[in-house]
Amino acid sequence: MSEYFSNIVYGVKSFLTGMKLTLNHFKNKKELVATLQYPHEKWPVPERNIGFDHADYNLIRSRLHVDIDDCIACMQCEKACPVDCIKIDSIKPPKGSEFDCGMTSNDTQKKMIVSRFTIDMSECMYCNLCVFPCPEECIYMVGGPNASKHEIDYEFSQYERDGMIFEFADATDAMIKEAGGEKWIEQRDAKADKQDQGIKLEGEVKIATPPPVAEPVKKEDGKPAVKSPTKSPVTGEFGIKSFNSISDKMCRGIAKKTFTAAMRAGKDQTAILADVAQALSDAGKMTGDIQAILDSLSTPVTPVDSAEPEVEVQDGAKSQKEAVDPPQASELDIKDLNVIEDKMARGIAKKAFTAAKRAGEDKIEAVTKALQDAGKLDGAAETLLSSFTSVQVPSTSSGETDSPETQPVVDEAGSPEQSSDLPLFDIKDLNDIDEKMARGMAKKIYTASKRAEKSRVEVINAIKAGLSEAGKLDEAIEAILNKLETGS
Amino acid sequence: MTSIFDSLQITFAGLNLDLMILLPAIALIGGTVIFLLMAVNALVAVYFERKVSAFMQDRLGPMEVGILGFKGGKRFWGGIGQTLADAIKLLVKEDILPNDADRVLMILAPFIIFTGAFLTFVGLPFSENLVISDFNIGVFYIVAMSSVGVIGIILAGWSSNNKWSLYGAMRAAAQIISYEIPIGLSLLLVVLVAGSLNFGDIVQWQADNRWFIFHSPFSFLAFFIFFISVVAETNRTPFDIPEAESELVAGWMTEYSGFRWALFFLSEYANMLIVSIVASTVFLGGWLSPLQMFNIFPESWHILDGPALGLFWVFFKAIILIFVMMWFRWTFPRLRVDQLMYLCWKVFIPFGLANLFLISLWELLF
Repeated sequence: MSEYFSNIVYGVKSFLTGMKLTLNHFKNKKELVATLQYPHEKWPVPERNIGFDHADYNLIRSRLHVDIDDCIACMQCEKACPVDCIKIDSIKPPKGSEFDCGMTSNDTQKKMIVSRFTIDMSECMYCNLCVFPCPEECIYMVGGPNASKHEIDYEFSQYERDGMIFEFADATDAMIKEAGGEKWIEQRDAKADKQDQGIKLEGEVKIATPPPVAEPVKKEDGKPAVKSPTKSPVTGEFGIKSFNSISDKMCRGIAKKTFTAAMRAGKDQTAILADVAQALSDAGKMTGDIQAILDSLSTPVTPVDSAEPEVEVQDGAKSQKEAVDPPQASELDIKDLNVIEDKMARGIAKKAFTAAKRAGEDKIEAVTKALQDAGKLDGAAETLLSSFTSVQVPSTSSGETDSPETQPVVDEAGSPEQSSDLPLFDIKDLNDIDEKMARGMAKKIYTASKRAEKSRVEVINAIKAGLSEAGKLDEAIEAILNKLETGS
Repeated sequence: MTSIFDSLQITFAGLNLDLMILLPAIALIGGTVIFLLMAVNALVAVYFERKVSAFMQDRLGPMEVGILGFKGGKRFWGGIGQTLADAIKLLVKEDILPNDADRVLMILAPFIIFTGAFLTFVGLPFSENLVISDFNIGVFYIVAMSSVGVIGIILAGWSSNNKWSLYGAMRAAAQIISYEIPIGLSLLLVVLVAGSLNFGDIVQWQADNRWFIFHSPFSFLAFFIFFISVVAETNRTPFDIPEAESELVAGWMTEYSGFRWALFFLSEYANMLIVSIVASTVFLGGWLSPLQMFNIFPESWHILDGPALGLFWVFFKAIILIFVMMWFRWTFPRLRVDQLMYLCWKVFIPFGLANLFLISLWELLF
């Protein structure tokens, strides 16, 4: 029984002793906390005693230091460095210049200024070979046992790898310019820009793609089927896709939503457009561009876009034979053109027809010319057209109808406008460009333009513009491009 | 003493709402307040605990994470954003359920434990009129509700299908059920003297006489039995054998992750707050200010005893007790299972019973 109580007493005692111990630590944390918040705080440099003469051995935990005021840019250290971690640029003031480069501490007159003196300490192998040839004794190891000479941090740690490259030159841009180093600054800035570009991966020149234009061929083709009696005649061309030309995503969404709602309510085009405009301005998204698009939609839409014909050119001449079925109407109607089987040819023909109709020109002539220009005029189309008119198709075109592939060859000798009708050249043609970077750039532009369905002349102009912007357009490249433009 | 529940009911009485709408709405308000309190308590207490532990071990604890650039201090109290960052990290963690686990029970367990802690707050007095619902059996209610958690712990251990979890759950069940007895005996002492189970009445008794801890040698002893037992009840070191990270990985929490684990964590720190508030209410005068007890200060100082400061005094006392619990944790090594049972059955329960008998005599004599 007494053991039981003595145990309890002992337990309480040890309990209190323990509590007292930890409380003491808690209370005296100011003295007792041993943690050093390392990157924010550092231990002071301890007194050194490395057991041998400091002057003999100064490579332990050290790094190179340059007294740049004493540097005469003799490049001896750069030459001596076995790993090429020292890079020096210097600028010599031109003869007769008043610019004073200063004196070294050995009273040597400096003849040039040091615009760049970088040492990459991540490459340095601490061989000390750069130290010995220096005539001014301005490059040396510090931070080791001879750190007393220069008070700098002792651990030489950096947060980023680039931090290991130390720049010692202290010449300002103004000084360099005064000493006649404008060109050097230009080169340096150009290099920095290039590096930035590389870092941001902005090497690719972006070419804005033209806004998608609704393909007229399909629309007209499907028009009779789509057309419903409830809709006003214009709505045939007016659909949800009409809003695709709105570039802002949110506005497009709002417009499309409103459109669908209005369609379901059975409204006509004008009412729908009014709804859309209302919805957009309610959302505070109405801008001038969108207003313009809506305006263009509210005027009766004709599927013609006269700026378009080049699009089809590059796909080459692969027109098909078609059944000759000339309608017997005396006047050419747009529907008569439906007998042309080749989609593209039909599209071209219809476009030309509408344009001519609007301009009040001779429709048949216009259609014939357009097809001929596109190399699409084959026997069937010719027969069709000729059935409507007494005006004969130019005889030159009849010879080409059977072999449309030869068409480009004929056009080659023509003027630059005609060469725009040439099929796009091959990307391999650009291999003639000797310089690697220019070639790469040209090819990139080529691919981008091809995707944007540009014509030959446009592509070549784009390449020229891109290269001259980059300062890469020399005579040889220009000659190659000109050659490609003419197609030879 | 009016409760929040009653006063809200009176406040909204003018609206003539259907009781079916009014009561759940009031309950929702109360529940939100409790949940916020639990969450804030966990955030603050974890930071506090990490700092206290660090200082007791000659470290600095979290020092790097601040809130919006404010770090709290350069030398000691930095890193106040640490627990907030930890909480966010915890919420985005992967939620893992083991293949062989009993899925239903495993999902259910954390909610049972959380519910136990949550319900306890309903009867907990924060100040004279600040109690969600003022039961006339407040003390009994809290003792009963704090035992609900043990069901969740056993479910968690069993459903995890993991030997560590099951060992942890068994130990937890044994420990919590054992230590309920000394807790009950100590509280019974108070109830016997004050003659009520209602927290308001108990505090009123202390206001009329003196703080219960200073009432008699037996109540003084009872406070320590109570306090050490609740530390064991909340599974904190040195009584953390159910978790025992060096033996059982994490005990019954081993297989839990993410938000479910966060619920355990929340409940653990909520339980700390609960037992501290109960201890301070029952033994340390609750919302009475210590200044009034000594009665040596001029009359004007009695403003400190006003109702506005009741909340302050309750939390002041509770935080001191929480600090003591942390102090325990970073001082003592973990008890063995048999030592734990020895302490409860062979020391606390006999002493508690003797206490109860002797205080009855004391009450008869004085």
